[in-house]
Amino acid sequence: METSSIKTILVTAASILVMVITWHLLALMLGHEYILPTPAETARQMIILVSSAGFWPVVLATIGRGLLGFIISLGLGVILGLVAGFSKAAYWLLQPWVTVVRSTPVMSVIILAIIWFESNLVPVVVTLLILFPIIYGNVVAGIMNINKELLEMARMYKVKTWRIVTELYLPSILPFLLAGASTAMGIAWKVIIAAEILSQPQLGIGTNLMIAKIDFATAQVFAWTVVAIVISFVFEYLIRLIETRLNTWS
Amino acid sequence: MSFTIDHVNKSFAGLEVIKDLFMQVEENQIICILGPSGAGKTTLLNIISGVIPADRGKISGFADKNISYLFQEHRLLPWKTVEDNIDFVLKDKISLKERKRIIAHYLDMVDLTAFSAYYPSQLSGGMKQRVALARAFAYPSEILLMDEPFKGLDYHLKRTLREAFIKLWQADKRSVFFVTHDIEEALLMGQEIYVLTDRPATVKGKVPNPIPYYERTRNNSALQRIENEIHQLLSSRV
Repeated sequence: METSSIKTILVTAASILVMVITWHLLALMLGHEYILPTPAETARQMIILVSSAGFWPVVLATIGRGLLGFIISLGLGVILGLVAGFSKAAYWLLQPWVTVVRSTPVMSVIILAIIWFESNLVPVVVTLLILFPIIYGNVVAGIMNINKELLEMARMYKVKTWRIVTELYLPSILPFLLAGASTAMGIAWKVIIAAEILSQPQLGIGTNLMIAKIDFATAQVFAWTVVAIVISFVFEYLIRLIETRLNTWS
Repeated sequence: MSFTIDHVNKSFAGLEVIKDLFMQVEENQIICILGPSGAGKTTLLNIISGVIPADRGKISGFADKNISYLFQEHRLLPWKTVEDNIDFVLKDKISLKERKRIIAHYLDMVDLTAFSAYYPSQLSGGMKQRVALARAFAYPSEILLMDEPFKGLDYHLKRTLREAFIKLWQADKRSVFFVTHDIEEALLMGQEIYVLTDRPATVKGKVPNPIPYYERTRNNSALQRIENEIHQLLSSRV
């Protein structure tokens, strides 16, 4: 265990090193900072960025929108997923709606949201529409996948219905829900930044990406991109942490 | 107190599964129901437990009785520890203090006291089935239905589980209906062995087995005579 985890860390570190070196060599070969800034230049821009007064409000605005969209889709996905999982009628009633939402291209959703909502709200609405079907689908799958033999056992031993729901259904759904939440979190930051680029709220990573692009400040584009990657990584890590915390039994 | 299964019939989509089945048994006995696989033995248990109704005939003595079950699979909740798995079927029926005592008692009976805080994934197959056994006895029931709970286990494991079961039952008698297709199992466990026909299941004959459990060994001639009797019944035509 110990040696293998050290090995993993070493391999990961080596991989990242190769990535940075390749990036650096490519940047040198191209020789145009406008097309591809070097890692060192990107790092310099990042330091300027992080130490500037405007940095945290921008990052927090984007994280806030992402979390808001995520939490609303989580709540809605769980509630409607439970309803659809337990009632066939509700499932077929919701199916066309979910299919439409799921199949709509992200860009169509963003453009329509820009037409209908004010720019601060657009990223939240878009995230909600993209994430909701993922969470919903996983909750429904979790209920469909419940172990029928355990259910039969609980009924035969006359366990109360609310206990069956809380102690049998919920733990069975949980891995599906967490897998859905993890996928949704990964997509959330990509979607939210795309929506910010198009809707241009006053504060937002997407807004700043677009400004940097207009200014031909490619190093800044890279810097903001690294910030987005770090945010995505941190939240993915948090969800994994929750996952291992909750799953102590397998 | 006795139980009667009075000329019960059951069909599924026109397929006759149980036909004119009659049994009358005394309480707190281990009744083995021996029949070929797929002969409707599980259906009979489901009728006894009230999960499905009989088409014709009636059963008596089972109403308002509490029933425990031992399935082919252990059916433990993977996210609950050994003691919480037993507690799951006791909650809302017994006080917390009493539950703790009962769980400790039955885990001790199946030699799993040291494993009370373990999750099923940390236990071997035989240990899991022993937890299921403890759960069945911990549950406040008068009747215990067993649907080939030792099927597919190796010889030694079967023997350990049989012995654990007999020990539990002798300390705490219930009316046991034990379904099996294994003659040896029926011989070693049953006090009365009902031999069933192939589908549609009906009773071919009843063989009493009064030999005490500690004398039930391979070379016991009385047990061999009972075994011959069962073989004759199985090969006879109705």
